[in-house]
Amino acid sequence: MKVTFPHMGNIYLAAKALFDGLEVEYVIPPYNSKSALEIGSLHSPEEMCLPFKLMMGNYIQALNQGADTIIIVGSCGPCRFGEYAELQMKLLNKAGFHADFIAIDAPSDIGIKELFRRLNILTKNSSKNKFEKIQVLYDAIKIMNLIDEIEELAHKYTGYERNKGTCKTILNNCKAEAIKCNNPKEMIQLLKSYKAKLNHIAIDINKDPLKIAIIGEIYTVIEPFTNLYIEEKLMDYEVSTKRSLSPSWWVKNTALVPLKINSLDIRKASKRYLPLYIGGHARECIGEAVMALEDGFDGAIQIFPMGCMPEIVSKSILPTISKDHDFPIMSLVVDEMTSEAGFVTRIEAFVDLIERRRENELSRH
Amino acid sequence: MKIGIPKGLLYYKYHVFLETYFKEIGAEIVVSPDTNKEILDLGVKYCVDEACLPIKIFHGHVAKIKDEVDIILIPRVMQLKEKEYICPKFCGLPEMVFNSIPNMPKAITNPIYANNNTKLYKWAIDAGKYITDDINLIFNSFNRALIKQSAHKTGIRNENFEINIALSGHPYNIYENFTNMNIVEKLNKSGVGVITEEYLSDDLKNINVKKLYKKPFWTFLRENYGFTTYEALEKKVDGIIYLSSFACGIDSVVTELIKDEIGDFPFLILKIDEQTGEAGLDTRIEAFVDMLERRQENESDIPSHG
Repeated sequence: MKVTFPHMGNIYLAAKALFDGLEVEYVIPPYNSKSALEIGSLHSPEEMCLPFKLMMGNYIQALNQGADTIIIVGSCGPCRFGEYAELQMKLLNKAGFHADFIAIDAPSDIGIKELFRRLNILTKNSSKNKFEKIQVLYDAIKIMNLIDEIEELAHKYTGYERNKGTCKTILNNCKAEAIKCNNPKEMIQLLKSYKAKLNHIAIDINKDPLKIAIIGEIYTVIEPFTNLYIEEKLMDYEVSTKRSLSPSWWVKNTALVPLKINSLDIRKASKRYLPLYIGGHARECIGEAVMALEDGFDGAIQIFPMGCMPEIVSKSILPTISKDHDFPIMSLVVDEMTSEAGFVTRIEAFVDLIERRRENELSRH
Repeated sequence: MKIGIPKGLLYYKYHVFLETYFKEIGAEIVVSPDTNKEILDLGVKYCVDEACLPIKIFHGHVAKIKDEVDIILIPRVMQLKEKEYICPKFCGLPEMVFNSIPNMPKAITNPIYANNNTKLYKWAIDAGKYITDDINLIFNSFNRALIKQSAHKTGIRNENFEINIALSGHPYNIYENFTNMNIVEKLNKSGVGVITEEYLSDDLKNINVKKLYKKPFWTFLRENYGFTTYEALEKKVDGIIYLSSFACGIDSVVTELIKDEIGDFPFLILKIDEQTGEAGLDTRIEAFVDMLERRQENESDIPSHG
């Protein structure tokens, strides 16, 4: 059995550590790219959303490299994501690929026994005992949290750094080196050292950089290929960015859902504009927009794939927030046709806009 | 008190319940007119660009009657069956309407969980509070409305036609004659009988649904998938027409699943949006009907995509 999984931001690092630790064979699909998208679009329904197509691309590239089992997390909410596994299974079969799927759904939908049965397929070939397996899982989660923290710090400090590009270099080196580690402990040590490095870069505390919140659909904000590396671009403009949605946020949130104490801050912030969970991460998007303006951000950028049902609802709410609080929000819709030039122009215009707003504000006082 | 009921989305299925209930508790009902060009234009004007046609039309209906009424009903339909949803846009419909259309009157936006009568009754109390305080009246009206709704049968089943097709899709696409350009009438005229999913029992629908890897969590997925695959695999009809609105997230999954299950069975997907031209639609229907006729004459199984 050779396991593979779809890409989503830095999740491949945690997955690598997990499978290394369990000593399960695995294939990390090639990073998302034009060719992955082309292969994926070829085998996907036309009106499907972008994450589906990219995932199909990941699977097929990994299957060609010898993988035979695909792991995907699922949901049973009203958003399309819940039906991904079902449809992807059928489409891969139709395209002539043979792959087993392990869909990890919430126990409330499939029952705890079924969940353990599915997880057991994954770990049955592992030579580790139960205690070691739990240890490895713990390490993998730790790695996921660490890399998310490192990213968050880099995106935040990038506006304050004395030598332009320090944060970006550290972040890129960190990712490049982490993938070379062959056991979880080693990776944790490496990530910790990079976190320390980031915390000790030369920063100018007197700087007051532009601050932008990245909000929207979880896959497109986390996976840099889909949003054409927007966070990296904003780092080049020395803009501090913040994105609350991350794999570690998702895991924490999902774990707390049964107790109903998940994301209390987001719920409170979104209450006025969207008091109910409507599927996907629409409510999070609204909550983060409100929180961003309360935290003194200069603007927010919403990113979602074309046709995303929950984000269409939030897109219709965001202009009201923008009007009510005089807070710039830009919506970017991405799909397989998104072109770099048009995209960059809009981002630059948005950054210019918030920069000028700030100058005007200063001259007014 | 005048209450406005927009004639969009699930109105076509549940109008009897809504109208009876609000009439009995003493409200004066204003139902928006049948969808027309003006309503479509209003909808396109106000609604967010990315939304699908039925949502835009709903916006149009709201905009049309909002100034004539004291309070307007925007049904936030969360669930119709246990553990099944309609669509995220239905859950956020009031927010979409309120943030897109200016100068809105007061509105009834309480979430509707129609998976059992207790929950639905709770909605009836919440919604009724805007109009009357008489809890007995609410209780009695609610029950009468339920009885009337269950006696009211929607659905189409034409008989005595040589060729029969299963017409599938969301109810608001099938019964909204403005956007689907009287498709049922058109089919009947060209000698094709129509049957819709209401005429197939839940047990028969569930035969194929149970074969799916995952239990569907959309009502329209279960109904349309179960209905079309049953009709096709049991050869009850000669072909299937699926009416779908452009960029419908649910249909992008449903139609793919159906295609996968029925193989070569004749299957036509008609996409409707605000740009749909009648001539194009006619051509496609004619071609499909011709193909069905020829299949019957030749009495052999010619693949639909031959």
